[in-house]
Amino acid sequence: MRDPFSGNGGPLGSGPDVEALIKKIRGHLGRIIAVLVLVVMVGTVAFGFYSVGPGEQGVVRTFGRESGKTGPGLRYVVPLFQQVDVVNIEQVRRIEVGFRAKQRVQSEALMLTGDENMVEAQMIVQYRVTDPSKYLFRLKDPEDTLSAAAQVALRGMVGRTTIDDAMTTGREKVQAETRSWLQVLMNNYQSGVTITEVKLQVVDAPDEVRESFHDVVRAREEKEQKINQARGYQADLIPGARGESQQIARSAEAYREQRVLRANGDSARFLSLLEEYRKAERVTRDRLHLEAIERVLSAVQKKTIIDAQVSRGTLPVLPLGEPQTGRTP
Amino acid sequence: MIARASLIVAALALLTLWSSAFIIDEREQAIVTQFGEFKRAITTPGLEWKLPFVQTVHRMERRLLGSDAPPAEYLTLDKKRMVADPVTRWRIADPLKFFTTVHDQSGARARLDDIVLSEMRREISSHNFGDIVGNEREPLMQAVAARTGEKALAEFGIEIIDVRIKRADLPREVQESVFARMRAERDRIGKQYRSEGEEEAAKIRADTDKEKTIMLARAYESAQKLRGEGDALSTKIYAEAYSKDPEFYTFTRSLEAYERVLTKDSTLVLSTGSELFRYLGQPAKK
Repeated sequence: MRDPFSGNGGPLGSGPDVEALIKKIRGHLGRIIAVLVLVVMVGTVAFGFYSVGPGEQGVVRTFGRESGKTGPGLRYVVPLFQQVDVVNIEQVRRIEVGFRAKQRVQSEALMLTGDENMVEAQMIVQYRVTDPSKYLFRLKDPEDTLSAAAQVALRGMVGRTTIDDAMTTGREKVQAETRSWLQVLMNNYQSGVTITEVKLQVVDAPDEVRESFHDVVRAREEKEQKINQARGYQADLIPGARGESQQIARSAEAYREQRVLRANGDSARFLSLLEEYRKAERVTRDRLHLEAIERVLSAVQKKTIIDAQVSRGTLPVLPLGEPQTGRTP
Repeated sequence: MIARASLIVAALALLTLWSSAFIIDEREQAIVTQFGEFKRAITTPGLEWKLPFVQTVHRMERRLLGSDAPPAEYLTLDKKRMVADPVTRWRIADPLKFFTTVHDQSGARARLDDIVLSEMRREISSHNFGDIVGNEREPLMQAVAARTGEKALAEFGIEIIDVRIKRADLPREVQESVFARMRAERDRIGKQYRSEGEEEAAKIRADTDKEKTIMLARAYESAQKLRGEGDALSTKIYAEAYSKDPEFYTFTRSLEAYERVLTKDSTLVLSTGSELFRYLGQPAKK
């Protein structure tokens, strides 16, 4: 805080020839005072100007008490009696939990889950100063407080979640709940900040057990692989079977049609023949018979023709069962 | 002479003013004492006056303050050890009491930490480990804050906003056993995934085989029906046609059959007495 009465006190020093100095001063006293007053006034006017940039807000105190806020532009306060703090209320600020500048902070990152496992979590908190008065005057060290509260909130929420949820599906939930819980805490602390975003960067198993966690991931992939192989078997077999059954069906349909068509053909032939046969039964019958016999007998190579008189005696003793192929010329 | 006297008077007046006016900032509160005797407390900011030279102003924080006690080991109800790191938020509610009992912030922190630690010990020892980590944490911390708050307000003029566990961890030695348990659990889950994969795959294969068998059987079923239908229809057609002259049918069909049955490898023994050779011996008309 600036001293409101530091403007004078200059001429009261003592030197080796004080007497001469005092005499000199006495001669010009009025003029000196006038110059001093002028300097103070000019200084007062000159140092009272300040500027508030876009997105900023100035908080003015008069005699230490907050007396108003100023928006962007060139502004003025009376020096010595008024002070101003300019706070950026648009800027999104951030703090890191569990790491600092890409370096992991193990003690901060390691935490217990609800099922008494341990996870490593890293988080970014983004916030804005939305109430500059509170931010400036109600809470000491807002950044440190926010950092501690962020840890409290994150650990509180992870503590209510199982490790599997925290690492997979429950992430979003942990994130959202951490955000709202952190906001509640910071409101309780009169911090004047609004948490705009909480981002979980990493939620992973600690180094000591990471290999086991990776093995589970591999196991899950193996499971998928086995299922996919089986699906491949299915994809291979079922269309084949479908084709085969189509083939069976088609050939049965063909058989049915064939049978019907052949029957129609056969019967049509028979009926036409019958019609002509009826016109000359005796002749046709003989003709058909003789033609058929002729075809049969001309096709058969081994024929034995025996006279009817002889045959009556010899026929029973003919060696009919003897193999005859090839021996008789 | 007059100028010199007036200079001295002006200087004295300034000094008096300097000693009697003071500013209390937004961040501050103060008490005023007169030769060590308490006169008044100032809890709102602004320009204030006091008797010059005889009264003294003692300033202190009006803002919320924090104190982070060092992590300590506690024993839970289920006899597990826990390392907890409490953070306390507080502010000076009664400047006089604060000033007379703990004097300043570092004095206050030391006393507060003592109270918080003993309250934590008490609360933690009446809860199970899992509850403290999980769902019971909030009510537990509120109980600690409430009891600490009562004591701190009565004894030191300090208002407790809240007490939170920043960290609740296991002691180093216990962590190793937790890791071992986690590994065992992961192994179990991994095995489960693998056997589930086999189960699922076997199921899919079996389903596939079943589907194939049924599909072919269905095809066979309808195929046989069709074939039967074909047989039946053709039988009907044949019967209708042939029944017009069964004798002639038998005749023609027999002739056809002879042609088929008697091929070139057959051996035929014929008698001249048969109808075919009727004219072989005697050309005469019978």
